[in-house]
Amino acid sequence: MAMINALRGGAYGVPFMPVPGLWGSDLIEQRPEFFRVMQSPFTGEKVVCVKSLNPDYSIIHVQEADEYGNCRILGPSFQDALLARAAKKTIVTTERLVGTYRMQEEPKLTTVPHFLVEAVVVVPGGAKPGICYPEYQKVDDAGMKAYTKAVKGGTMDEYLAGVTEGRF
Amino acid sequence: MFKKVMSMADAVDLIQDGQLLGIGGNALHRSPVVFTQALAKAGRKDLKVCAAAPGMGADVLCAAGCADTAYFGFFGFENEYGLAAGFRKGCQEGKIKAIEGS
Repeated sequence: MAMINALRGGAYGVPFMPVPGLWGSDLIEQRPEFFRVMQSPFTGEKVVCVKSLNPDYSIIHVQEADEYGNCRILGPSFQDALLARAAKKTIVTTERLVGTYRMQEEPKLTTVPHFLVEAVVVVPGGAKPGICYPEYQKVDDAGMKAYTKAVKGGTMDEYLAGVTEGRF
Repeated sequence: MFKKVMSMADAVDLIQDGQLLGIGGNALHRSPVVFTQALAKAGRKDLKVCAAAPGMGADVLCAAGCADTAYFGFFGFENEYGLAAGFRKGCQEGKIKAIEGS
């Protein structure tokens, strides 16, 4: 809840947000740059606060976007709508480009509207080796093993050269 | 409304060293992996990443040495893939500051 409230604070334009449920955690003392305890100005009770986050960019991958940056997320949207609103600008990668009529048919299904978006990049398979419902619903096991091997073996440069070669 | 479709290279160029990035998706679900791979290849430094459940996309930046700070609630891949390998390694080597939010 603290992370979500930090992003909510960013999206709402306030510098911090109260957050319930952290009492008893060492995080409050360990990370004073993120957590502070203050008194409610109304009742005087103590409340934990989390610093708001305003990402310079949020980067989200969606199933459908139009050329203006209106996005539809199919299936769970997680915190993506919130990330786009907390950020100064959003970069979208999309499985496919769709006509704006898709948004006009059902406007309330537009998860992220165009005015929050700075860039749209068409990247089919942009979440691989992970999952993007309903396009690809199983983790690419070989892709994950290759990644983990590169991390543990310290060969990220070779890994990155391999996965990006010829793509862009 | 104006048109914003651009190449991956042009989109990657928007991001500067040291910026705070919100990474979408959740663990291995709908994470912008290919974008962060391209960003890591471009060699950005001192990035800060944040998300409630950053996964593969943010981990690529951690593994490649592009990120020095991570704000997160849960940072992992889930199931047999376990914790996020790059983030874990970065923390163990003292290269990444973990700011856990729950």
